[in-house]
Amino acid sequence: MKRIEVRLSVEVVEPLLGVIEAAAESLVDKLAVSPTLTGLEPDLCDAWMAELQAAQAKEVRELTGIFDANFRKTGLVAFDESNAEPIIRACTAMRLRIREAFLDRHSDETLESGDVELDDLAPGDRRAFMAYLLLATIQDLVIQHLESSILGE
Amino acid sequence: MADARPQAVPEQSEREQVALAGGWHVVVLNDPVNLMSYVVLVFRKVLGFDETKARKHMLEVHELGRSVVWSGDREKAEAYAFTLQQWHLTAVLENDEAH
Repeated sequence: MKRIEVRLSVEVVEPLLGVIEAAAESLVDKLAVSPTLTGLEPDLCDAWMAELQAAQAKEVRELTGIFDANFRKTGLVAFDESNAEPIIRACTAMRLRIREAFLDRHSDETLESGDVELDDLAPGDRRAFMAYLLLATIQDLVIQHLESSILGE
Repeated sequence: MADARPQAVPEQSEREQVALAGGWHVVVLNDPVNLMSYVVLVFRKVLGFDETKARKHMLEVHELGRSVVWSGDREKAEAYAFTLQQWHLTAVLENDEAH
């Protein structure tokens, strides 16, 4: 089984965990993207939403679980074919929520380019933006190294 | 109660045939968050696209704001939309009658 280990700076990441945990908590009972379910039967809509919510909750738990006591001690996080898919999905859900909850003052173009002057941001916004970037980096790393596992190739 | 779980994703050849049938369309809308590499991966994983086709649809979403990624019968369109939503893409269903 292909496995990658990434060593992150605990000093840098630990202050961001508050943002990540807040985003995770807010995703317990709310979907990152509210689906438009035009034309579906009400019963089907309910089941549809419940299944999306359950899947999201599971993957968010998987992501927050990598920042455990071992991470705080060593800075190491590990990814393999068993967690790659839920991790990258959770990164997207969390980034969508962080974008909505903490970074809504910034334009899409600014966030997409990453062209944000960190020194100009208030401390809370700075942490949110760094958490947003951290999750993108994790997602990109996992895709780069475990793409074939995710695709089942 | 109806089951929202998607049906098994059809094999490539079946998908191609169904795509020609028309009727219901799975449309992916742009969002400001998702990485291009992620969207390409999702299209490959969920819809069975090769890299080139996945990239073409990703660029369509990025530049035009939307891309029709699949067309066919309602049941399978629902299954694809559901699975794309599980990956947190903004996927909507449209049908010919609505236009």
